[in-house]
Amino acid sequence: MKALERHRKLTAIWASEEGFKGWFSTVNHNDLGRMFLFTAFIFFIIGGLLAMLIRVQLATPHSAFAGPEIYNQIFTMHGTVMMFLFAIPTFEGLAIYLLPKMLGSRDLAFPRLTAYGFWCYAFGGSMLIVAMLFGIAPDGGWFMYPPLTSAIHSPGINTDFWLIGITFVEISAIAAAVEITVSVLKYRAPGMSLDKMPIFAWYALITALMILTGFPPLILGSVLLELERAFGLPFFQADLGGDSLLWQHLFWLFGHPEVYIIFLPAAGVISTVLPVMCRTTLLGYGWIVSAAVALAFLSFGLWVHHMFTTGIPHMGLAFFSAASTLVAVPTGLQIFAWIGTMWKGRPEMHLPMLHILGFFFTFVIGGLTGVMVAVVPFDWQAHDTAFITAHLHYVLFGGFVFPIFAGIYYWLPHFTGQKRFFYLGQLAFALVFIGFHVTFLAMHWVGLLGQRRRISSYAPEDGWTAINLISSVGSFILAIGIALILIDVLLHIFTAHRGRRNPWNAPSLEWAMITPAPAYTFASLPHITRRDPLHAEPDLAVRLARGEGYLGTPRNNWRETLCVDIASGKPEMHVIYPTNTRLPIVMSAVTGLFFLSLLLKFYWTVPLALAGVAFLAWRWVWRLGHGHDPEMQPCGHGISLPNAATVERSPGWWGSAFLLTANATFFAALLFGFVFLWTVAPGWPPPEWFAPSVTELGTGVIGALVAPLALGHAIRVNRQGGAPFPSVIIALLGIVALGLACGALMWRAPAPTDHAYGATLLVLGGYGVFHATVAALMGGFLAAQIRQGYTSATRRAAFAIVRLWITYTSLTGLFILLAAHLPGLIP
Amino acid sequence: MTVILRILIAPLVWLVCFSAVYGLHALACDSAFGAFAGSSTARIVLLVAFVLALALQLAIFWYLHRPNQAAPAGFLRFVTRASAWTGLVATIWTLFPVVALSTCT
Amino acid sequence: MLIGAAGIFGLVMVLVGLAFRRKDTIDGDGQQVRLWIIGFGLVFPALVLGALLLYGLTIGERLSPRAGANVVQVTAEARRWEWRFTYSDAPALETTGVLHIPAGLPVDIAITTADVIHSFWVPRLAGKLDAIPGHTNTLRLEADRPGTFQGVSAEFSGAGYDAFAFRVIAHDKAAWAAFLQGQLE
Repeated sequence: MKALERHRKLTAIWASEEGFKGWFSTVNHNDLGRMFLFTAFIFFIIGGLLAMLIRVQLATPHSAFAGPEIYNQIFTMHGTVMMFLFAIPTFEGLAIYLLPKMLGSRDLAFPRLTAYGFWCYAFGGSMLIVAMLFGIAPDGGWFMYPPLTSAIHSPGINTDFWLIGITFVEISAIAAAVEITVSVLKYRAPGMSLDKMPIFAWYALITALMILTGFPPLILGSVLLELERAFGLPFFQADLGGDSLLWQHLFWLFGHPEVYIIFLPAAGVISTVLPVMCRTTLLGYGWIVSAAVALAFLSFGLWVHHMFTTGIPHMGLAFFSAASTLVAVPTGLQIFAWIGTMWKGRPEMHLPMLHILGFFFTFVIGGLTGVMVAVVPFDWQAHDTAFITAHLHYVLFGGFVFPIFAGIYYWLPHFTGQKRFFYLGQLAFALVFIGFHVTFLAMHWVGLLGQRRRISSYAPEDGWTAINLISSVGSFILAIGIALILIDVLLHIFTAHRGRRNPWNAPSLEWAMITPAPAYTFASLPHITRRDPLHAEPDLAVRLARGEGYLGTPRNNWRETLCVDIASGKPEMHVIYPTNTRLPIVMSAVTGLFFLSLLLKFYWTVPLALAGVAFLAWRWVWRLGHGHDPEMQPCGHGISLPNAATVERSPGWWGSAFLLTANATFFAALLFGFVFLWTVAPGWPPPEWFAPSVTELGTGVIGALVAPLALGHAIRVNRQGGAPFPSVIIALLGIVALGLACGALMWRAPAPTDHAYGATLLVLGGYGVFHATVAALMGGFLAAQIRQGYTSATRRAAFAIVRLWITYTSLTGLFILLAAHLPGLIP
Repeated sequence: MTVILRILIAPLVWLVCFSAVYGLHALACDSAFGAFAGSSTARIVLLVAFVLALALQLAIFWYLHRPNQAAPAGFLRFVTRASAWTGLVATIWTLFPVVALSTCT
Repeated sequence: MLIGAAGIFGLVMVLVGLAFRRKDTIDGDGQQVRLWIIGFGLVFPALVLGALLLYGLTIGERLSPRAGANVVQVTAEARRWEWRFTYSDAPALETTGVLHIPAGLPVDIAITTADVIHSFWVPRLAGKLDAIPGHTNTLRLEADRPGTFQGVSAEFSGAGYDAFAFRVIAHDKAAWAAFLQGQLE
């Protein structure tokens, strides 16, 4: 087969539908990565326009531009859009587009999940923007502190838009994080062991794991606050046993890791681009990976440094002050590793390099002011002033926007296959750089003079007029610079000027293909022996196009790829992807219906939407079933691999494991909230305790013990070729018993609207019932599959996945029942 | 997966211990606990927790440095041991206030 | 702190700048790792940050309120958008928007709120401390001379936040005694 013929055949298999219809049914990471990035940049522009409005408002004293009601919406939306709708999705888009190409695979682990995540993001983000256009956008500041955001002090629908919209968007973050984690661990080219992974993949992996453990506390906080607003469950009301500090803990448990979730991918871009710009290799690969791991963990030990002024005793603050200084060590290590890389090589002043220099200059200042505010007494003065606003912009703009611009200019030829023709980029960079520093240096200064953040006006006597005007002028220079970058990129896209393949002479795999990238990425998959495959074999792209790698022969209309062993990169299984479908967009629309019903308080459509999601999810997995035992597939280079449906740990198992990791963090945060309210909140003990019941507890515990054991038995029977059906039914019954016990807890929880104790028990019981329902659906699904002959001793992957969910449900169910019943049973 | 877990374990244990000591401190300073709050008993409890955390880290450190536990590849061994160091240093660095500062003011 | 930060910033920028001078590419990473990663990346920040941390904690420890004989007790209760102050030395007195304290004596301010979260901040006298529903936080401050000090609430609290300010008046001995007896307007 000739290279061109192979290209045509593969394209026919992998391409999305023609025209704009293809957007709605595509599941290909090429399309979805670009759609993510495009949407994120739309939101970046919206957030930027909001920033300009803020600076217009503050340019003069006693500004009459907008009243506080509108201004509060503007700054709240600026922060919210930039954090949730621009920064995180930009990382997701970049990772979705690049990872399969860098890792030498053909797509991500779960293509339909990518699409589902994208549509949740697009719909949820649009909800917020629509709210803003109607003038009912959230207005409580981007960290939404109750009781200001509770129903009493913010009765409008504004806050609900934030809580529900952002939770909707977070689904996409969690989906992308699961996707990225499994893809980096399993979907790599044969031979690519962990130490041969491109550095960006390490950063993406660590970031994804951080999203899985960082976002659930925020989702929990949003759920609790929305429950309080909608149904009066008083989680954050001090007089009813709640505590507004619980929100601050949950929010910053998410909020500080978030900063590093934003920074680490950008650091990944720098670690990828900088060595190429310096014609050398990255200094200290192992050190940088270790530093990123350290950073990931340390960043979870900083959350209280946003709460230094809440009256926590000094020793409590000292722990977090210490952790906040320590986190600067691995950050510093990366900075110096990059400088060492520059010393090692010969830096060349291409446009990406310019933005990297902008990063160095800006981020180092941001890091140093960050260390300053980590010092408790300094923070007591600087907290909630414009100094903090300036600091966080140095960190986020320096640590994210400059590196992303560097990345855009670096990968633009990959996206378009063209080379830059106009040279607006340098001028644009100069304007962005100057504008940014004028804006935010001035803001540091005015903050030290005492200007609080989030004020909408100030008096001439304050003496801040000139500085604010300077800052506003700077922000408009910055805006012009960003507009020029936009024009530059558009000109690049629309002026056809064919570039050569791998224009930067980069060593990484994403350049080993024609550009713009074909839908199938690699015509055949490479075998990796080094970290810089393209330097080792400069003609790799041609050889892969000729089909000399793995899976070089298109067959059966299959979208095929390989999975490898995590550590060694040895080929492990053969995967056939699902093809184009509208299922993801339909499912996210139904998910949107669920959120919209909550938002508009149309509660009768909520169960309808939930049933819809369950129905679609059932179809989603049902389509993956095989009616016959798949054979070992020859994959090239003389190896044959088993199908993913016939292994113990299939991609679905890995995806479930990481989704449950996020879920477990959510549950842990919920238990933390329970303990926190019990011990710290004023207004305890509650007026009435839950009456324990040995019958309910016993039923639930027995159910929780029986279910996983019975399913384990089903797996053994199935492996030996027996009939697993009866054991699956017993496991189902166990789960139902557990669900009933949790339901009884919900039913009998003491008046949930009277005290946070009853409210928390209600939520705990609800968590148990929800998971029992999910596990029962999965058990039912498995039973149906067995009945239809979709399982066999060989086709066993579904069993392990269901066991994972049932075990998780049982464990959390045990925790819930014991937490509710035990305190009353112990004399 | 075990190779990944080996990399994560030391800092993960630090995070758990760190949060636990912080929580313990909050409880030790909560007036709801009467005479216990802010007393020398509270300090001793915190010190014991610190020593336990340290002992746990040292045990992990020792475990990850045993020659037969180390991953075969040089890179993984390096990252595993670096994260063992991270856990140990972080434990000392972030929890030493237990020794030095006043408990509850 | 500012000078130190400026020094470090200057150093980093010089190092970045020097990378652009003409030189041969270096082969072999061993020595580079020792210099850049262990030297600059680990040892240098660890030393600087360790020193800074100890310094900050020492200061913080000194600023913490301690039990003392002559501490004046006042209560500050915030609501949208006004501060109310009461005085344990004169239970009948309540002032709104103006806090009276004696100069030269340590004052403990018990801060709380009737509605949402606020923050008590008199920049010239002390750092911020939040007023949180259901909790009472105590701030120690001392004015070393009589005079008037501007204070603001420093936690966003909705539409009236811009103008949410108050004053602190520190009195000399005689005026303080007069105030406590309600003879001062």
